[in-house]
Amino acid sequence: MGINKRDEGKKVNSNINVTPMVDVMLVLLIIFMVITPMLNNKVNVNLPVSAAATIQDDANKEDSVQVAVTKDGQTYLGVNPIALDDLGSKVSGLLQNKADSDKKVFMRADSRANYGKVMDAVDEIRAAGVSNLVLLTDKKEQ
Amino acid sequence: MAMGGGGGTDKAVSDINVTPLIDVLLVLLIIFMVIVPIAPHGLNTLIPQPPKDKSNPPPDNDRTIVVQVLGDGSGGHVSYKINDDDFAKTALEAKLAEIFSTRSEKVMFVKGTKDVDYGKVAEVIDMGHQADVDNIGLITPRVEAGQ
Repeated sequence: MGINKRDEGKKVNSNINVTPMVDVMLVLLIIFMVITPMLNNKVNVNLPVSAAATIQDDANKEDSVQVAVTKDGQTYLGVNPIALDDLGSKVSGLLQNKADSDKKVFMRADSRANYGKVMDAVDEIRAAGVSNLVLLTDKKEQ
Repeated sequence: MAMGGGGGTDKAVSDINVTPLIDVLLVLLIIFMVIVPIAPHGLNTLIPQPPKDKSNPPPDNDRTIVVQVLGDGSGGHVSYKINDDDFAKTALEAKLAEIFSTRSEKVMFVKGTKDVDYGKVAEVIDMGHQADVDNIGLITPRVEAGQ
């Protein structure tokens, strides 16, 4: 028995140390839990690709007004579907407390959306007194 | 030095084990590297508002540049015009750069027919921005009607 004990002391520990892996996995889990709601607050559209697009930090603000037009021509205000007739009044309602220079509307339209539908939405936005429209696009990889 | 002596294996390690910390920080770094490119990009455009004083329309300006995106009705083939002249898509960008290189008022308008894809119009607006045009106006049916 005494000999056995001595052998045990020399025994190589064959278990993998999983603690760092668990650390990393837990952090990943937490990060994705935080990110998932952030990613889902947008209408899923295929934005056109552009080379000259500039970074629009304002588009990430909580109170930014985003209008989306999907491929099938449905118009959204934020994430909610909206009838074209209501769009103008809703947009002007959202913008009424902002200074004129901040009256910006962000347009997320699908690159394969019909331009007629997009123009209808733009007309409604224009009727709300907005003259600054930002067409959100994906930046072309250089 | 600790490895030198036989007693080295018994000695307690007084350094903090930073390996898990570095693991976690590296993962955070990678996650933020992935997120940053998702920052929104966009093309600034303007929507012309109706003139406040309708009795006094602005004078016609023959230097106004209107780029038209014309569909053929089926939505497949698209043709482009700068004012009244036809241009191929490949020639459009060079022509715009040529026009606006000598101008101080960098304004152009983009007009598309109803049957084209929005992506085609966005391409033209992108070309305008690449030609350093500051103000790009969208012409919609109601802008044209002057409402």
